[in-house]
Amino acid sequence: MKKMLPESELARDERFVRSKIEDRIFDPRGPKLATRNTGPAMMATDRPAAAERSRSLMHGIFVGEIQALEGAGRTCFDFDDDEAPFQLKLDMARQCWDESRHCEISIKLGDHLGTEIGEYTESTFLYAAACNPDPVMRLTGVNRALEGLAIDVFNTMREFGKESTDPVLEFCEDWMLADEVTHVKMGSDWLRRLTEKDPERRERALEFQRTVDKIFNLGGFRGEQEENPVQLARRFRELAGFTDEENDSLSKLAAESTEEARQMSELLAGNN
Amino acid sequence: MSDAFKARAPFAPWDRRELPGLFSVEDTARRVGNYKWTEMRLFEVLGGWVATVPELDVKLVLGRHTYHHAWHAELWHKRLPELREMNQERMTVPANDAFVAFMDSVRDPEAPELTIEKLVGVYRVLIPRLIAVYTYHLNGTSTITDAPTIRSLKFALQDEFDDWRDGEMLLQSLIDTPEKVDRAARRQQELEKLYIRSGGIAGPGSLGETAEEQGAA
Repeated sequence: MKKMLPESELARDERFVRSKIEDRIFDPRGPKLATRNTGPAMMATDRPAAAERSRSLMHGIFVGEIQALEGAGRTCFDFDDDEAPFQLKLDMARQCWDESRHCEISIKLGDHLGTEIGEYTESTFLYAAACNPDPVMRLTGVNRALEGLAIDVFNTMREFGKESTDPVLEFCEDWMLADEVTHVKMGSDWLRRLTEKDPERRERALEFQRTVDKIFNLGGFRGEQEENPVQLARRFRELAGFTDEENDSLSKLAAESTEEARQMSELLAGNN
Repeated sequence: MSDAFKARAPFAPWDRRELPGLFSVEDTARRVGNYKWTEMRLFEVLGGWVATVPELDVKLVLGRHTYHHAWHAELWHKRLPELREMNQERMTVPANDAFVAFMDSVRDPEAPELTIEKLVGVYRVLIPRLIAVYTYHLNGTSTITDAPTIRSLKFALQDEFDDWRDGEMLLQSLIDTPEKVDRAARRQQELEKLYIRSGGIAGPGSLGETAEEQGAA
C-alpha cells in the first residue's frame, strides 16, 4: 500500500455524493439567497429554517468525522518511525478510536434529527488538510485547525440542543466536545515538542494553520457575528491551549472572510 | 476475636502459583520486542486502511481496532525497560526477514475492492496467531517472577479475542458468494505459507519447540 493517499481516492459507498468546495462557494443560487432578508444566520430555534439547518450541519459533522478518522489513520501509516515519533502515532491511533465513535454518534444523531447518510453532499476539503507530507504541518492543519473548527461546531450544536430542549443532542455534543478539546491539546503539544529547536518550522506550521483556518471559515460559516451559523467557542479553545491572541487573530480572520463573502454576494447579485 | 499476629502461610491454600517458567529475562525481552514490532505494523496498517475501505461498518471497526493494537504496542514498549532493555528501539524488531515478508504481504492490499483480502490477512491469519503466541507465553512464563508480562498479556488477549470476533463477523457478512469463499481461502493459504516460512511472530519456537527440535533433543 502506498504512502500518502490523495483525497480523490477516499473510499465511499454508493450513498455518498461528493462535491467541490468551489461549487458551493460559486453556487449561482447563492447571491439570490443572500439578497433575501432572512435575518441572522446564527443557529437559533426561532428561525424557520432551524430544523433543516441542524440536519444539514449534522450531516456535515458526520462526513467531517469520517475524514478526521481517515486523516488520523493515515498519519499512523504514512510516516516511518524516524519521521514521526512512536508516541505521536499512539496519539493518532487514540484519535482514530475517538473519531470512529464520533462517526457512530453522528449517524445516530442524524437519525434522531431526521436525516440520513447521503441526503447532503460531502466535500473532502477537511481531509485535504491531512495530506501534508510534513507531520508537523499535518498535525497543525488537522489537530489545531480542523479539530479547532470541530470545537466551534460542537459547541454551537450543544447550545442549539440546550436552547431547543433536546437533551439527546446536548448530551452527545458535550461528550464529543470533550474529545475535541483533547485532540486540539494534543496538536498544540506536538507542535511545541516537534519544533522546539526549529522556530522557522514552527512559524511555517502556524502559517499553514492560518491558511487552513481561513478555508475553514468558509466565507462566513464561522465567526462571532450574528450572521455566522457557527460561533467561535473561545472558552473551550482556551481549554485546548489556544491563547487569547490566537483566538483574537482567528476572530479577525473570520470577520474578514464574512466581509469578503458579503462583498462577493453583492457583486454576483449585481451581475445577475 | 482473631489474633492479628498469628503466623499465616505467605501463600493462601488456593494460590497455586509456582516459580519456574520457560523464559529467561533475555528471552522475554526478545519476545516482547517482537510483539511490539508486530503490533506497531498492525495498528499502522489498520489506520491506513480506514481511508481505503468503502464499507462504512468496516471503516469504523478498523478505526476502533487501530487504537487497541497501538495500546498493545505501548504496553510492550513500557515493559522493555523493566526487562533490562533500556534502548527500546534496539529490541523493537521483527523475528526475521521472513516475518517482515509476511507482514508486508498482510499490509499490501490497497484498492477499495479488496476489503476481503485486507480482513482475511488480519482476522483469519495474523490475529489468531497473536492469540496463539500470547497464550503460549501466558501459559509458559513464571507466574510469580513475570507477573507484569502476564498482566499485559491478559489485557492484550482480551482485545485480540474481541477484535477477532468483530473481524470474523464482518468477513462472514461480506463473503456471500462461492467466488468470495474462494478469494478468502486463497488469500489465507498464501499468507499462512509465508507465516510458516518465518517460524512465527517470535520466530521458530514461537509456540515452543517444534516436533523436529524435540526429536533432536
